[in-house]
Amino acid sequence: MMSNENRMTIDGAEVAFQPGETVLEVARRQGAFVPTLCYDERLDPYGSCRLCVVEVEGRRLPASSCTLKAESGMEIRTGSDPIRKMQSTLMEMVLSENPDDECPRCRDIGTCEVHDLAEKLEVGRERFLGAISNASKDDSNPFLLRDYDRCISCYRCVRICDEVEADHAITMTGRGWNKGIATAFDGGLMDSDCTLCGQCIYTCPTGALADKKMVGQGEIPGEVEVTRSVCPYCGTGCSINLHSRDGKMIGVTPVLDGPVNEGALCVKGQFGFDFVNSGDRLTRPLIRKNGELTPVSWDEAFDYTAQKLMSVRADHGPKAFYAIASGRAPGEGSYMLQKFTRAVMNSNQVDNCSRG
Amino acid sequence: MKSQVEVQDPITDRILDEWLEEPAPFLSILHAIQDHYGYLPEPALRRVSQRMDIPISDLYGTVTFYHFFQLEPKAIPDIRVCENSACCLHDLDQLCEEVAGADLGIEHSGKIEKISCPGRCDVPVPLLIGEKFLHGAKPGAIGEAVEATMPLPPETGQQECLFQHIRDGVSDLKVALEKGAWKSPLLAASDPEKLISELKTSGLTGRGGAGFPTGVKWEVVRNENRGPKWIICNADESEVGCFKDRVLMAHTPHALLEGMTCAGLVTGAEVGIIYLRWEYPEILESLQAAIDEATAAGYLGEDACGSGRPFRILIRRGAGAYICGEETSLLNSLEGKHPFPREKPPFPTTHGLFQQPTIVNNVETFCAVPPIVEHGGQWFSDLGLGEQNGMRIFSVSGDIQRPGNYEVPVGTPLRQLLVEFAGGPLPGREIQGVTMAGVSGGLVGAEDLDVRLDPASLDGLGAMLGAGGIVVHDDTRCMIKAARESMHFLKEESCGKCFPCRIGTTRMTEILDELGSGQPVREGIMEEIEDLEEVLGETSACGLGLAAPYITRMLKKYWPDQIQQKLNGSTQASEGADDE
Repeated sequence: MMSNENRMTIDGAEVAFQPGETVLEVARRQGAFVPTLCYDERLDPYGSCRLCVVEVEGRRLPASSCTLKAESGMEIRTGSDPIRKMQSTLMEMVLSENPDDECPRCRDIGTCEVHDLAEKLEVGRERFLGAISNASKDDSNPFLLRDYDRCISCYRCVRICDEVEADHAITMTGRGWNKGIATAFDGGLMDSDCTLCGQCIYTCPTGALADKKMVGQGEIPGEVEVTRSVCPYCGTGCSINLHSRDGKMIGVTPVLDGPVNEGALCVKGQFGFDFVNSGDRLTRPLIRKNGELTPVSWDEAFDYTAQKLMSVRADHGPKAFYAIASGRAPGEGSYMLQKFTRAVMNSNQVDNCSRG
Repeated sequence: MKSQVEVQDPITDRILDEWLEEPAPFLSILHAIQDHYGYLPEPALRRVSQRMDIPISDLYGTVTFYHFFQLEPKAIPDIRVCENSACCLHDLDQLCEEVAGADLGIEHSGKIEKISCPGRCDVPVPLLIGEKFLHGAKPGAIGEAVEATMPLPPETGQQECLFQHIRDGVSDLKVALEKGAWKSPLLAASDPEKLISELKTSGLTGRGGAGFPTGVKWEVVRNENRGPKWIICNADESEVGCFKDRVLMAHTPHALLEGMTCAGLVTGAEVGIIYLRWEYPEILESLQAAIDEATAAGYLGEDACGSGRPFRILIRRGAGAYICGEETSLLNSLEGKHPFPREKPPFPTTHGLFQQPTIVNNVETFCAVPPIVEHGGQWFSDLGLGEQNGMRIFSVSGDIQRPGNYEVPVGTPLRQLLVEFAGGPLPGREIQGVTMAGVSGGLVGAEDLDVRLDPASLDGLGAMLGAGGIVVHDDTRCMIKAARESMHFLKEESCGKCFPCRIGTTRMTEILDELGSGQPVREGIMEEIEDLEEVLGETSACGLGLAAPYITRMLKKYWPDQIQQKLNGSTQASEGADDE
């Protein structure tokens, strides 16, 4: 006879679980539709949105499945009529605290979690209308839009800043309906411990936080194309999604299942892509002649460089040469540079800027 | 990072040096800084952040959670006026206008700030200026406002238990000892099993409202092998209409200290903490004096009551937040964390203060322990009427002849409490209804005033006994407004963490405003109330949100006519508008 250890019932089906797993994790693995808004798999369970409530046999009240640890013999029902009705009401309540205009994030970046879930639960912003919660913040930082009119107070931004980034740049202030998100003493992000990593905007399930550069790009015609790639900035190799429209790059989003970064990016990888479309990009070699940078052919550039390098070695010896590989060069390029330094220039002085 | 720049503030450093080795020092440090500067200056908070290793943003956010921590200097204090249940039965607009320009004997700015119930419903309306309270300010008669004294409970002529000695001035250790105080801890030390068994026999349950059996709670903590264990007294009495713990602490502090010491000796905890609400500054002084007296006499300290074991009691002062009366919020508050409630389980008995086994009991619960030890559990149990156990204290206020605290047997009919003991309604008036548990236990209408005051009977009506606050409304009152005021309180005091409570109490308040306004109401408003009740009552994360639907459900049950009248009125109004 099979032991019922680490087995439970979800919607009538007996399933196995790993000790420590939450009911939400087990239920979703089983394919159950359990909506959430305050949940992000990278964060500690929080239990604030209460959308993930499920019925637990033997309990008088539904429980939030994100904070409920799976136990042997537990019997869970996820989608009964009363549960679905409460989820719909909760969703209507959430919609009621935000403005009734077009969500810029949905328009320019991709459907936000709130509006995606509202569609799934088939509810709109029609009932429970009243005061709008929170207030937008004027923030002069170059990258992060902070439009708290659209905030639903799930505190995912605060929690990812604390738990994942350990930057503790933002906090929840006040209490109840009058709570908000702020930096210490309510200053701008640039005056805080914020590193502008952008993690808050990509965990945010609403249009309250967004990439300033991406919002407003909605005017460009054409569909947004998303291309998975690897961040070119350093040797870490973070996975990114490149968003482009009509062949023009409009933004970067982190990839949650990126094996190296698991959804994290730094300020450069997240926001530093202006060079892609910049008119200042070098497209051909230049040699300074009589103080003027003058376009030359590749052959001329190679000959000139080789000649200069050989004369440095002849005149000053191998120790006069030191090579630093760019962190943005691929591994093969870095390999070639150290080979060149050692075999051609006879120097051991070689390094990579990513070594920090 | 900016927060790593070293901040210098010698005064804050001195305060930190003094407190950092003490248990749960967070609130005391902030109060000491605020007492010195008059507010919490930014450099001081940055210094606290660095030395306590709390990120400055988190510290700032936590400070903004409380009503009474100030981030701006204020040379002259404003006048804070209670806006809740018993007080808002008076014309507060007129009162505020009058007091703003009045000479109240204490310098004030003339600015008014409305605050949540400071637990003085028996002497309405309290005014708070700085840390001084004036009691009994009535519109048209603000001259009668007097500096606060804590009134004794009115007498019932019946047998009392916790109140039996308080008319003799027991707050003094000498008098308390004459009445037999401080004997029970020796039994706790010599035969803890016996004490737990007496508690179980007594049927004593948590008097803060949740009603968990005290003996069972103590036994669980006693049986835990981890430590250090903690004994916490929840004296954050913040529910509107509740002021029973205030009277106990004011008039029989040694019973509280003795009860806590029993808990310490039974469980092996060496430190007890009284989490005292900020709004009781007089109690802060008198309670500290009682602790000092008991320590000097050897009842507390390294050899508590001659038991050979240490036990000491500390006071930690809250800073104004109703939710900190919720036990897990209280624990977070003591630890210096954002005072949101924690997920339960685990419960504080196994994972309480600093995740260690912890007893959290209400003031009245601890105070009941010495008489139970003295007379036996059966004696206490027999005090209750019928199947009920023991006595309970009820705070009665509002439209009633003799507002105050009454200790009556559990199971006493509500009508007897209100009419026989509290003197009934004012002349020429009828009682229309009362709020229960303070306000979060809903409302009971006149037709059910014969209900017995025990948890099951109130449950049977769909209301809740809770912490024993009862605010009386007579037949001149609009019960929609009464419900609105109760809901408004919950909205103001919602912590803001869980969605159903944060949004739900706000929308309920707005809806009750709309309903009470006499203006046309939107269609489907009653369905909205029903759906909000369901979500609040089923999915909220703590007792605050879970209790909110009691208010509207009881309003609909007892006063459907008042609602219908408003709905009809609004239909007529809109029809009238159509005709024009």
